[in-house]
Amino acid sequence: MLTIPAAIAEEMIAHACELKPHECCGILGGTRESVSQHYRITNILANLSESDLARFDAPKLSDLKQLSPEERADIAFQMDSQEMGNALRDIRDRGVSLQAFYHSHTMSPARPSQTDITIAMEFEGYREKLNLPEPLHIIISLLNIESPDIRAFRIRNHEATEVPTTLV
Amino acid sequence: MTKVRIPTPLRPKTGGKSEVEVHASNISEMIERLETSYPGIKERLCDETGEIRRFLNIYLNEEDIRFLEGKNTPLKDTDEVSIIPAIAGGV
Repeated sequence: MLTIPAAIAEEMIAHACELKPHECCGILGGTRESVSQHYRITNILANLSESDLARFDAPKLSDLKQLSPEERADIAFQMDSQEMGNALRDIRDRGVSLQAFYHSHTMSPARPSQTDITIAMEFEGYREKLNLPEPLHIIISLLNIESPDIRAFRIRNHEATEVPTTLV
Repeated sequence: MTKVRIPTPLRPKTGGKSEVEVHASNISEMIERLETSYPGIKERLCDETGEIRRFLNIYLNEEDIRFLEGKNTPLKDTDEVSIIPAIAGGV
């Protein structure tokens, strides 16, 4: 169970709507009981060079290369590493912990793609070295723009399992 | 020797190795030593101005080097360096 204050959920949805048609991304911090910190992180995908795109899996890389840099941010995201580092540091300084990474799917349902799962598993390989707790992965779907859908997933062993989310 | 963890996207440059060892007194020297052993890895780590690429973070043990002394951060042989890409994804 993940509890997100309604004000933070509204900020996440606002972030996703502002960046549409690009994907937005961000980080949530807090405690097991409730999210208390929200960080918007810049999606730098449009600024990545072709060689930097090699961090994506082959099918996604093939899709990305067919698009202009601007269009690439419509179907994928790459967090700015400095902003991500600053957010993780701020979370630690506040005495809370990493709870979730989030991003938006502007034209598809709120469930992790194969690329999301591959990269989440890759991060799992680094996470324990950094002494970070296992994060959830939240997707905000704008498929129905009148009613954005926020869903959280735990990604383990290359499988995504939905974790109930409560807005309070 | 300082242990350096290589992330998946950079492993083609290290012949698939996920961990390598280098003798270096600081992070800048570590990058140069990596380039000597694994040509082409520096341009994947640093942009044309020499700064760490904006999708990568470098951690010394559990700390982001930007909160230490950046590329001048000193290294000891018992240290572990992790090069970690920021989270990404896509539909």
